[in-house]
Amino acid sequence: MTIDWGWFPDHQDDLVTLTLDHLSTAVPAVLLGLLIALPLAVIAHRVRPLRGLLLGISNVLFTIPSIAIFVLLLPVTGLTRTTAVTGLTIYTLVVLLRNTVEGLDSVPAKVREASTAMGARPLRTLLTVELPLAFPVIMAGVRVATVMAISLVSVASYIGYGGLGQLFTDGFQRNYPTPVVAGVVLSLLLALVADAVLVTVQWLCTPWLRRRA
Amino acid sequence: MIELLRDLVRWLTSGSQWSGPDGIATRLLEHLQYSLLATLVAAALALPVGLLIGHTGRGAFLAINLSGFGRALPTVGLVTLVFLASGLSMWPVYVSLVALAVPVIVTNTYAGMAAVDPEVRDAARGQGMRWYQVLFQVELPLALPLIMTGLRLACVQVVATATIAAYVSFGGLGRYVFDGLAQRDLVQVLGGAVLVAVLAIALDLALAEVQRLLFRNRPPRAHAH
Amino acid sequence: MNRRKLLGGLLVGASVPALAACGGGITSLKGDGGSGGSGGGSSAGGLVIGTANFTENQLLGYLYAEALRGAGVKASVRPNLGSREIVIPALQQGDIDLLPEYQGNLLLHFDDKAAQTEAGDLQNALTVALPSGLEALPYAAAEDKDVFCVTSGTARKYGLRSFTDLAARNGELVFGGPAEDKKRVVGLVGLKDRYGVTFKGFKALDASGPLVKGALKKGDVDVANLFSTDPDIEANNWVVLADPKALIPAQHIVPVVRAAKADAKVRKALARLGGALTTRELARLNKLVSNDKKDPDEVAADWAKDHGLAKR
Repeated sequence: MTIDWGWFPDHQDDLVTLTLDHLSTAVPAVLLGLLIALPLAVIAHRVRPLRGLLLGISNVLFTIPSIAIFVLLLPVTGLTRTTAVTGLTIYTLVVLLRNTVEGLDSVPAKVREASTAMGARPLRTLLTVELPLAFPVIMAGVRVATVMAISLVSVASYIGYGGLGQLFTDGFQRNYPTPVVAGVVLSLLLALVADAVLVTVQWLCTPWLRRRA
Repeated sequence: MIELLRDLVRWLTSGSQWSGPDGIATRLLEHLQYSLLATLVAAALALPVGLLIGHTGRGAFLAINLSGFGRALPTVGLVTLVFLASGLSMWPVYVSLVALAVPVIVTNTYAGMAAVDPEVRDAARGQGMRWYQVLFQVELPLALPLIMTGLRLACVQVVATATIAAYVSFGGLGRYVFDGLAQRDLVQVLGGAVLVAVLAIALDLALAEVQRLLFRNRPPRAHAH
Repeated sequence: MNRRKLLGGLLVGASVPALAACGGGITSLKGDGGSGGSGGGSSAGGLVIGTANFTENQLLGYLYAEALRGAGVKASVRPNLGSREIVIPALQQGDIDLLPEYQGNLLLHFDDKAAQTEAGDLQNALTVALPSGLEALPYAAAEDKDVFCVTSGTARKYGLRSFTDLAARNGELVFGGPAEDKKRVVGLVGLKDRYGVTFKGFKALDASGPLVKGALKKGDVDVANLFSTDPDIEANNWVVLADPKALIPAQHIVPVVRAAKADAKVRKALARLGGALTTRELARLNKLVSNDKKDPDEVAADWAKDHGLAKR
């Protein structure tokens, strides 16, 4: 298996395009997952009987192979980016929901009670007390979900929307390892960079944790 | 939707679907074989590493970051790469499944070891226990719950991902997913997906049961953290 | 067949808004240079070209894109979308606008009882068989047929020269091809109905790709479905089995387009391409992409320039 090093400089533009393509599937999936997971987590946290059900459903969804999810979405969302994004959203949802519930659980009851005692309405308590305190745990979930989404985008290459994963199919069909290596390395790098960005965001958003350290 | 579910039930319950070389029974066994072998190999590789890192406290950085690396690794790319290197064989499947499972097991094993109270460890050493006695008689039993969590997590992920064997022409339940995609036969895809999910959950429950049995035979004192 | 009806129903349901959104609208009122008299399509918004999951189809997609751009039509290519069973519904739904296709197999996709085998008849039959909204444009000189191959060793061992000889070895041989072959006429269904051939087993592989060729080399399969333009057939001395009863129809390259996008510019550009693209040329270009690892888009661009199809 030889790597054709000359391929890389010749394909800079393609690699940039595919990387952006990759991100434009992964990022919306995480954001959408977060948008759905947050209210669901609040419900799961507040309404005990629903908690097991919601977490149970999301755990079962996690055991379904991602390629099957994409295929099953085809009649609904067609051969479009929406299919790839929706499929990935389902996966990020599992991680985000679990972590957000855990984050909310980690807020001591006394803190919540104090906020209520000071006259704050439940929504205000949620937004100004509970969510900020749960933020580190939620962010841990966002990091895992983001890294996972970036590595899973390539599965959508089976329906032509795999971002950097398109390089895998290409290399596979032409018995050409170079593009595959490029795809694997860039996908890994993208995940690591995204993770580093999120760590920085978290650091910037939680000055109170910094002082303690 | 209702019709799709009705077709699914028919697909899952028809006798002819279960028998033969491409029947559900065969595919299920193949899938189980790929998954168990990969998980066992991964455990054989990952457990010693995780225990060693946890026992010595060296390489903790590696253990913590390995799981992130494992999650970031695109399985489809790895399968393709190994396929191009090794040709038509089971290597691409096993290499990528093991690569998926190893980080999960290492990280959880390390986490379990790291959670052992240092005072307990010191007390054991103070009683004159050798390093292997400390490891196997004190640390390992205390770390076991988290180690088992790692094994279960790895197993579930491996079962879901073993679908990929079909991509490089082999069997397993992924056959239904990939063939169903090629033939645009959603019932077959859904059937394959349901069977994979059921297998993953069944294995997870089985491992949970193993875990429960392991604990039942131990003095309750060992539970204390 | 309930299943097919259900899927059809879902697709039709999904395609209504898509077609309503893209079909004609304001742009078509402008006439746009007289669109060849049928449908009144417009290419003003550009065309999205979809391609199936094998190398040649991608090359063809990029060739179409070059030809369209040469005629001043915007075009983008979506490579590797999947099998015909996946891309045709996407075309009907309007997710893509144009597909490089193969006459005979395309016709059989819509009418699995179709008996036409000759290019002209196939083209006429396609016009009838394609669902409304889709149109087959003039076919290319180039043809890429499905062929069923065996290694020279297997041919000698079992005395195989044609599909008829396969029937003498019923239950002894393993067939390999893409998963869809199991249910296609140009595949197990036709071999059984027309020639009475049955196999010991079927192995789902890929469309003239590394899996099926690897399996044929290794002996995992005895008979393999490949494409006639595949350079590896000659390189490996594989034997192409004869088809005396004409099971495999003519397979000239044919553009299938959403009628709403097919105006005179599109029609003329693709017809000019089709006239210039011969089977030998296609095989040569395939070799450049598969063996010499040239990018399909660059190979297509160079070829279009050499043949006066690209933008000057």
